[in-house]
Amino acid sequence: MANNNLMVGLEIGTSKICVVVGESRPDGTLKILGVGQAPSRGVRKGEIVDFETAMKCVHEAVVDAEQKSDVMIKSVYVAIAGSHLQSFNNRGCVMLPEDRDEIDEQDVEDVKTNAREVSIPAQNAFLHSVIQHYQVDGQQGVLNPVGMLAEKLEADFHIIHGVRTRIQNSIRCVKELPLDVEDVVFSGLASAQVVLTQHEKDLGALVIDIGGGTTDYVLYSEGAVRQSGCVAVGGDHITNDISMGLRIPMARAEKLKSEEGSCVLGNCLPGEMILLKDDSGFAGKEIDRETLNTIIHLRLREAFELLKRRLEEEPYLGYLGAGIFITGGCSLLSGIDHLAAEIFEIPANLTHAQAAWGVTSAVQNPQFSTAIGLVKFAQVMHTDRPPRGFSRIFGKLFSGKR
Amino acid sequence: MIQLNKNYSLPERLAEFIPIKIVSVGGAGLNALDRLVLDGLERADVVAINTDVHSLTSSVATRKVQLGRSVSRGLGAGGDPDVGYQAALESADEIREALADASVIFMCAGLGGGTGSGAAPYIAQAAREAGALVIAFATLPFGFEGKRRNVQAREALVRLSEFAHAVVCFENDRMGDLSPPQAGIHQAFAMADITISQSVRSIVNLIQQPGLIRIGFDDLLVALRTRSSRCLFGYGESDSDNRAHDVLTQALKNPLMDRGRMLADATHVLVQVAGGPDMTLSEVEILMQELGRHVSDQTQILFGAAVDARLGDRLSVTIISSLSAEEEADLLQTLPEANNASAVSPVREQYEVAAPEPEIQPEEPAVEVQPLEETIPFEEPVVAEAEPPVSSEPPVIPTRNGEPEHATIAQQEKSVPSKGEKEPVEKSGTPAKQEVLQFEPVTRGRFEKSEPTIIEGEDLDVPTYLRKRIKVK
Repeated sequence: MANNNLMVGLEIGTSKICVVVGESRPDGTLKILGVGQAPSRGVRKGEIVDFETAMKCVHEAVVDAEQKSDVMIKSVYVAIAGSHLQSFNNRGCVMLPEDRDEIDEQDVEDVKTNAREVSIPAQNAFLHSVIQHYQVDGQQGVLNPVGMLAEKLEADFHIIHGVRTRIQNSIRCVKELPLDVEDVVFSGLASAQVVLTQHEKDLGALVIDIGGGTTDYVLYSEGAVRQSGCVAVGGDHITNDISMGLRIPMARAEKLKSEEGSCVLGNCLPGEMILLKDDSGFAGKEIDRETLNTIIHLRLREAFELLKRRLEEEPYLGYLGAGIFITGGCSLLSGIDHLAAEIFEIPANLTHAQAAWGVTSAVQNPQFSTAIGLVKFAQVMHTDRPPRGFSRIFGKLFSGKR
Repeated sequence: MIQLNKNYSLPERLAEFIPIKIVSVGGAGLNALDRLVLDGLERADVVAINTDVHSLTSSVATRKVQLGRSVSRGLGAGGDPDVGYQAALESADEIREALADASVIFMCAGLGGGTGSGAAPYIAQAAREAGALVIAFATLPFGFEGKRRNVQAREALVRLSEFAHAVVCFENDRMGDLSPPQAGIHQAFAMADITISQSVRSIVNLIQQPGLIRIGFDDLLVALRTRSSRCLFGYGESDSDNRAHDVLTQALKNPLMDRGRMLADATHVLVQVAGGPDMTLSEVEILMQELGRHVSDQTQILFGAAVDARLGDRLSVTIISSLSAEEEADLLQTLPEANNASAVSPVREQYEVAAPEPEIQPEEPAVEVQPLEETIPFEEPVVAEAEPPVSSEPPVIPTRNGEPEHATIAQQEKSVPSKGEKEPVEKSGTPAKQEVLQFEPVTRGRFEKSEPTIIEGEDLDVPTYLRKRIKVK
């Protein structure tokens, strides 16, 4: 890409593949130039199961995005999901050498390496180490320790890791197109980038991104990621349940879910029926609305309760000032916010990418939260990097003066 | 036998000695059995059955049966269940001989390998045909042992549960939590064996101990009855000052118990408290009260208490339960009501009459039961009308009494496809018949071929309404 303000996010989802082209404006905002998408095949539960087919679909989506945004795509940020992803919080610690008492960038790197020195399964690789807070000689809540005087630097990191080969599969799929992969990002973390504002992260918020194959969650408290994870249950499961419960084909079930489905019970007349028109190879059928809603309700209730149990392992759930934010394709299901609020006993909102503008139809569609989030993530990375080197020089200068 | 306080001992209970056999199948079963024998177990015969001669020779079991002298020639089954099955077929006579004359047969088998998966179901069938109550203790392999082994184990478990009256299933993956992470692998396996041995021993004791409040097969079967194969088991023993509290904590710590969390969903919980002569009522009360916090109000607690002088000043508690589905729970709860006068549930009678029962008549009870099953969930009065023939007759024709209950369950099972033709082959003597199934074929729809999403022991790919047994339509 000639313009290095252009960034591309690619999400290989279970139901669709989407590519978002964004431009970072000088004022720091993000403009979405175009969105390309293609129905996804060969992906189950967020992971590629049929390499060739998935690659074709990715190619289709990339071409679509190139046409719509009029940009040649050369490198992308790729979202990673799948039940193999795990996370934990860990603290790293470095002691400064005796002849030096000022923290420099190398110490910050060291403390990050130190925090990663925990045993994760041999086949796993680190995906992210997200800084929560630094502690300088026991002083809590330091955001940037570079330049501070100290003997000991500690840092709390939220570490996300996953099975190396499974992460590599996504990367390979993109590289064979061929496109460059700039970075891989946990899809839940990507969504949170655009769904939440900094203020909401500070207050404490839980982002639940329910996609086709997986449900990703990220919990922020005091501005830092505290918990995250991925459960391999998503909209596909609801469709499958409907298809099996009502004995209708998958395609019909999918349509029925998105057009008529709701996860609120007792909201329809007793005996209210939905008529499915006959089609070639499918005799028409009448469906009891309450039955449909019950199937959806049970599945989502279970998924939320599972999430709740996981999140309750740590105390942050009780301190969510901003509440729950639900996004992803499945958030379009009617009543899902009420169900989440009921189960978590915390106000829940439906949301979509907030921190971007441009192709409004895309920005306002919760299905694109992750892909737009990738672009936002890229923007943060880009804006972070050059100034970092810059401030380093300044920092050195200043330290020399002092 | 047991030294009992004369005030409490009742002669007819002492007379009720129950011949028990403990049978191990395959290498893993053998290890568990050895552990069991080494830990001390009276009043039970031990039989080791394996294809591998080498492991048999080193076993401490009193009776040994080598399977398939010509099929496997003294070697193991090589992980192939077919070889295990063939070997069992070849040595069928020896197996029958070894299993004869027992009322209860406990079977330990590690599923997944050749002998365990192949021969265990066959041996369970043979045991049942010998007229014994069969309780199987099965271990499922570790996840890392590979998919194939796990699939073999699951298949074997399904077959095993067709023949065994109850299956207590241990997942090795869960047992991993027992030992500290830095402990050696041998320790992890040893812990698994110890857990199995503990459960077998406590169940044997439970049945044989003439208690103040006795627990019988009936209670045991009710507690173990499940179709989700999820058995909860906990055992604790303590002689500390605060032993009532300690034993319960210890029992709930058992990995098969999941810290007591899963007890909340159980419909039946069997609790047996045993202690030396100094066990006080208040201790039992404290213990039961504390346990009460872990179970829901609807849970039926089958309580037993026994004084056993051998325990000295120790107190022990055994908690057995299984997660059963609501539908089934409805059924089970209504049945004991029917003969509460006799205080013996039909399951027990079913067992007792199993031997003399000449023939089963599948058609007739099925017809009889049809309306019964239909009406139970909906209207109470109709249930009452439907049941008098059952409740008034039990002492007269026990066979009939046992029958409906058997047929009802079989009936329920029949709604599940592909189970019907798996009826065990009936042979001369007591027919082995399908009664309680722990399993049903899982239906995962489009996720059939994808990697299963198993979280907290549930396969989330199976529709929620199926797992929770909520009727749709």
